[in-house]
Order: sequence, then C-alpha cells, then structure tokens
Amino acid sequence: MDTPTFLLLLKGAGVSLLLALAAIACGTLLATALAALAFSRLALVRTFYRLYIYLIRGTPLLVLALLIFYALPALDLRTGPYLAGALVLTLYVGALFAEVFRGAVLAIPRPQWESARSLGLPPLAMLRKVIGPLVVRYALPPYVNVCVMTVKASSVLSIISVWELTFAAREIIERTLAVFTVLGIAAGIYFVICFGLDRVGRRVEHHLMLKGFVGEHV
Amino acid sequence: MIEIRGLRKAFGSLAVLRDIDVDIADGEVMALIGRSGCGKTTLLRCINFLEEYDAGEIRLDGQPLWYRPGADSRRRRVPDQEARRMRQQMGIVFQQYNLFPHMTALENVSLGPRFSQKVAAAEAEDLGRSLLARVGLSDKVDAYPAHLSGGQQQRVAIARALAMRPKVLLLDEITSALDPELVGEVEDVIRSLLSEPIMMVLVTHALGFAREVAHRIAYIADGRIAEIGTPAEILEQPSDPTLKDFLRRIR
Repeated sequence: MDTPTFLLLLKGAGVSLLLALAAIACGTLLATALAALAFSRLALVRTFYRLYIYLIRGTPLLVLALLIFYALPALDLRTGPYLAGALVLTLYVGALFAEVFRGAVLAIPRPQWESARSLGLPPLAMLRKVIGPLVVRYALPPYVNVCVMTVKASSVLSIISVWELTFAAREIIERTLAVFTVLGIAAGIYFVICFGLDRVGRRVEHHLMLKGFVGEHV
Repeated sequence: MIEIRGLRKAFGSLAVLRDIDVDIADGEVMALIGRSGCGKTTLLRCINFLEEYDAGEIRLDGQPLWYRPGADSRRRRVPDQEARRMRQQMGIVFQQYNLFPHMTALENVSLGPRFSQKVAAAEAEDLGRSLLARVGLSDKVDAYPAHLSGGQQQRVAIARALAMRPKVLLLDEITSALDPELVGEVEDVIRSLLSEPIMMVLVTHALGFAREVAHRIAYIADGRIAEIGTPAEILEQPSDPTLKDFLRRIR
C-alpha cells in the first residue's frame, strides 16, 4: 500500500475516533441524566427510563442509524450524515452507559449509604463526596468496555454515508481490489485505538487504586 | 436522656420489636444483649432511624424524633432536613467499620463536621486530627482504610462518629468482626470515653466488656426487654429463665 492510501485510512480513523469520542462524551452526559431517572421516586419516570433502555438496547444499531438518518429529514431537520451519525451513536451508547451507571449505584454496599446517612450529610455532599466517587470506581471497567465498543460501533455509520475508517477502506478496496491488505490495516487501526482506550482505562483504575480502593492490578 | 416508649417494628409479618419501653439517662452506658435475631440491633438502628418503626416514640432530651403527628391522626416522617439535624446528635459505629474506602482516615473523620455541620475546612481538619490522636492513630491520618488493620479501621470509625460531637454513641457489635488480638485496642477507646458525659448504647456479645463499662444491661428476647438491671443483677442473679439459659450457653 502506498503512503497516500495509508494516510487516507488514517484520516478515516481520525473521523471514527472523533465520532466515538463525541458520542462517549455526550452519551456519558445523557446516561448520567438517564440513570438519575432510574432512581426517581415516581414510577412513571422509572417506566420511561426502562422503555428507553428496552427500545434502544433491543434495536440493532444499524437499523437505528438508518431510521434516524431517514427520519430526521422527514422531520425537516437537515443535519447531514455526520450530525445524524453522532446523534445515533450518542443515543445508543447513552443507554448502555446508563445501565453501567445504574449497576454501579446498585453495587454500592448498603452500609456505605447508611454511614453517609448516619452522618446527616446533605444530599449534594453525599452525592459528591461518597456516592459519586464510588460509582466512578464501580462503573469504570464496564464503562471502558462500552467506550471500546463505541469505537467499533462507529463503523456501522458508514451505512448512512458517514465517511470514516470503514467507509474509506471500502472506497480504497473498490479502487485497488486489495481486499485483505486494506481490511487488515483498517482492523489494525481499530485495534490500536481500542487498545489505547483500554490502557487509559487501566491507568485511571490504577490511579484510583492508589487512592484507597482495593483490587487487583490486572 | 433518651426516652423510648411503646416502640414496635415488624418486618412483614415478623414482629421484631414489640413494645419496647426504656430510658437512657444522661451519661449512661446501656448494653443490649440477647440471642441473635432477638431485635437488639434493630432497636439500635431504630434509635437513629436507619430503620423505620411502626409505632412508638423516641425522644432525645425531650425532643420527639423522626415522626410528627399528622393532621389525620396518622404520623408523618419529619422532613429530611430535620432528620439530618437529628442524626447529627448521634453517632453510630457498625460491626464492619464501614469507612468510606476512597477517603483517608482524616477525610473520613472530617467529612461529617465539614459538610453536615458546615464547619470551615481547616477547623474540620484540626478536629479530625485531634480525634484521630485521641484514638491513637496520629500516624495514620493519611492512610486509606484498605491499608489499616480491622482494629485501626474501627478506631477511625469511632473517631468519625465522635466528630459530630454527638449526645449519643450507638455501638453495634463493634468488636465482633475483629481478630481477638485487636479487640482490646477498640475496647480501650470505649473505656477512655467513659469519663465523658456521652450516652452510649452498645449491642454486644462480649459480656465481660458489657459488665465492665455498662451501667445497666438490658436482655432482649423476642422483641421485648425481658430483663433489665445492673450488670451484677443481670449476669449474676438473672430471674428470666431464657436469660439464665442464654448466659449458660454464651459462657
């Protein structure tokens, strides 16, 4: 493979990474709000949460992407594929992150809540000082898992003409017919990105462990 | 003082507390003993409302805690903010220490004063340091719970409870989870508190320790205070047959 072709793949990888990072950032915000709904006192709000999760989790990302890509213009929203793609990915990983956060809250041992309550901590201080940090710790491994998945899931967006790594690879294959070389390199690039994300996750985990959390360094 | 009147609590159809009446005087140390499942820990947890109760009244220095009579003769829980203020008058120490794992010993102890009582950061820290010194852990101020022994963690937990300057200290089997050689250091901390004007209610299986520190012992059986009296009365001249049996078994 010549250098310009490789650079083209790298450019596609940049778009993939950017899309994934945008979805991870927005999805995390969305998931935080969603997870709060999951613990609402109002049954109706909790039902809304469950419906959202069932709906998103029970639909293939590919179908969801097509659906939103065609639905947005019908609603007179001309966003173009990139914004639509980022939106789909955000809605999708938002649901997954929300379940990660919900699980982390449920994993907090009851005695931790009781200790915080027995000190008479106001809700905000309790969230900021006790529950929040514990949620981060419990959520981290599955959170990184979803992040890695997000990078790979972004390849689906090529179907709605988002020009990213997979799209670029297919373009080059059509031109050069070097199927295995191009796909092999694309896969390698995906691997490197995911591996990098994983390393970041482990670094954060290790850092938290130094801050008093027990656990094995894997 | 604490006045408990007609306290009742059931978990579903299982009555755990049936009509508990007891007073704890200022500065008094009261031990609660009884078989496991008799309701002693539930009683302790009702006092600071970690457990809701179905009927009855708890007063602290005359002030009714946790519930208010409602307009329609049904009682209502006090608003959360008020419950928090009430809780700050009590400290509780748990069997499993339950320190916050992501905070140093000092942060654990200063948290309550800093955020519940809105004490200035520097002041809360000073208080934390002096309390940790008091439980003999001056050198462990910056240690995380994971790096402390069980006995040290429990001493931090006691300091954390004391940091709120509570009127009452509730101790729930605080030495039960400890290795035998670590029990003494925790008991020593409790002994050192006996000169303070603080009420203590301790749930315990350590009868020797209860005898030494408690002014009175209440034997709880089947959700009731079956017998109450001085340690000598309860441990040497028990009249309740189930208490006699209990003492025989535990010795």
